[in-house]
Amino acid sequence: MASVIRPTLLRQAFVAPSRRVLSTSSVASSAFRSSTLSSRRPLQSAFAQDTLPKPARIAAFHGTGSRMILPPLPQRIQGTVNDPASVPDPTPAHGSYHWTFERIVAAGLVPLTIAPFAAGSLNPLMDATFCALILIHSHIGFESVIIDYVPTHRMPGVRKLFMWGLKLATLLVGVGLYEFETNDVGVTEAVRRIWKA
Amino acid sequence: MRGGAARAVFRSPVAQVAPRRTAATQNMPDNAARDMLVKQRLNRPVSPHLGIYRPQITWYGSALNRITASILSGGFYIFGFSYLIAPLFGWDLSSQRLAKSFGSLPKSVKVGTKMLLAFPFTYHSLNGVRHLAWDLGYGFSNKAVMQTGWATVAASVASSLGLAFV
Amino acid sequence: MAALRSSSRLVNSLRGAVSPVWKRGFASVDPISSFSEATSKSAPVVPESKTSTIKEPAPEKDSKIKTFHIYRWNPDEPTQKPRMQSYTLDLNKTGPMMLDALIRIKNEVDPTLTFRRSCREGICGSCAMNIDGVNTLACLCRIPTDTKTASRIYPLPHTYVVKDLVPDLTQFYKQYRSIKPYLQRKTPPADGREYRQSKAERKKLDGLYECILCACCSTSCPSYWWNSEEYLGPAVLLQSYRWIADSRDEKKAERQDALNNSMSLYRCHTILNCSRTCPKGLNPALAIAEIKKSMAFT
Repeated sequence: MASVIRPTLLRQAFVAPSRRVLSTSSVASSAFRSSTLSSRRPLQSAFAQDTLPKPARIAAFHGTGSRMILPPLPQRIQGTVNDPASVPDPTPAHGSYHWTFERIVAAGLVPLTIAPFAAGSLNPLMDATFCALILIHSHIGFESVIIDYVPTHRMPGVRKLFMWGLKLATLLVGVGLYEFETNDVGVTEAVRRIWKA
Repeated sequence: MRGGAARAVFRSPVAQVAPRRTAATQNMPDNAARDMLVKQRLNRPVSPHLGIYRPQITWYGSALNRITASILSGGFYIFGFSYLIAPLFGWDLSSQRLAKSFGSLPKSVKVGTKMLLAFPFTYHSLNGVRHLAWDLGYGFSNKAVMQTGWATVAASVASSLGLAFV
Repeated sequence: MAALRSSSRLVNSLRGAVSPVWKRGFASVDPISSFSEATSKSAPVVPESKTSTIKEPAPEKDSKIKTFHIYRWNPDEPTQKPRMQSYTLDLNKTGPMMLDALIRIKNEVDPTLTFRRSCREGICGSCAMNIDGVNTLACLCRIPTDTKTASRIYPLPHTYVVKDLVPDLTQFYKQYRSIKPYLQRKTPPADGREYRQSKAERKKLDGLYECILCACCSTSCPSYWWNSEEYLGPAVLLQSYRWIADSRDEKKAERQDALNNSMSLYRCHTILNCSRTCPKGLNPALAIAEIKKSMAFT
């Protein structure tokens, strides 16, 4: 990823000096320079250059290390400085409703988490509810991890792949847990038995 | 006006060492200036973030919340999926069989495994309660956040130790 | 002091006379070595252990010398990596605040050091930077008097650096603009003069209107680090709530609608770095929670 970007950046770095119009270092015109002391050197280089070892001076673009998973891209700004950032269309299904639903699920998990400790284990219906809520809670959690770390504007394809992969995984896991709930003793009871084994 | 003649008259030591601007400016049209800015932006580095921000219970606690969540949910998904495909490969993942094989492990391994599973569970559960309180608008003062944060860590370590030795 | 300064400059300028012009800037970068460097696994910032230290001009006997490691990057030399530059200062000759130290370095030690500052009393928000790991205003941050540990100064985290400690806040301001930070109202006032508020209504704005938009909170937020293109960040959301909570504003529903998507508001995961770091003692996390609450069933 990063190595794809860099050659263009380097090219710009070489183009840059000739385009530079306001600089504190070295663009004094020759006429101006001849009228000043010939020995004068800009302050900037007097400090910056002598304090740096040679390898650092010929170091390339401050590359982000290749160990970074998703290094930040070069800065690009949409529109001018005075345009507002774009405001997305309201989608309550991914916004407020989603948030409320998520909180209700999480709040519902609280008594269901405490109950097995108080009662030993849950009856099959409660256990199935518990299992389903955990599945939904996990799905929402993984979804928000994907939204956080796989930005759409940067990798739309990967984002879509992850989202659909998650949906498929949740579906398959849901079927698997249905099998487990119907054929076995239920999640809480199973955990209790394994824990006490 | 910085004429050469005037400068020559004034060439005292003080004048020589006084700071003098060596910058040159020139006017440029708006779009050229914008192009130049766009090019400069491409060169800019991103300032350090994760590596230099001071470790605090706020974001470390939050990161731990997400990590423990991933461990729990990841394990949950792996088990659910394995149970689904178990018949295809002839695995026996019934609770009876799992309990039996877990019970045959040495004591230290059992306690260690329980500890490793219990801590994510207790931390994420207790921190979840904290999150629900925040969603209702309670406990936002810096003091409360720090106290409940450390209390959650302490309580989850203690309770997971308790669970491990059950 | 002034005499010292000019004489050291004279020495520098004489020393500089022997160094050829081509050694400066871009001319010293040859494409092959820079390419191999760019693909190597080096850390993004050259640590202070690999750069030299610029010392206090004239240390005295009972001086309290403290080291400052400061992030440096010069846009005129874009091929160089950012590096940590060390400076030592005598705290006896320096004012009590971090900004005093920075100004002293710029005045007496290294005039190329670049940072923003204006009011020196915590009301303009210009000197926001990351000092010893937390975002704060340099003018409100005391220099720790413990001279054994060095202080580290970085620009605001995960921002594009214009030069040294100056971050580019264009995106931040564009986002601020997008929430329409002004009173929106069609109905004329009842008495034809002013939009009146009760004391209770006015009280709701306390803790919101004091925000100076220094960006300390937004740039302390990991969610904002990863998604600053779409997530608005604590500061802008606090400002958005300032107008949502204002009894005189008539566009509350529109303001809420503008936040009602998965990115603008709901990337907040209550990490709470924002409230912890706010140099004005405000609570952006609480403001965001209030927005979420007010939108819960809309």
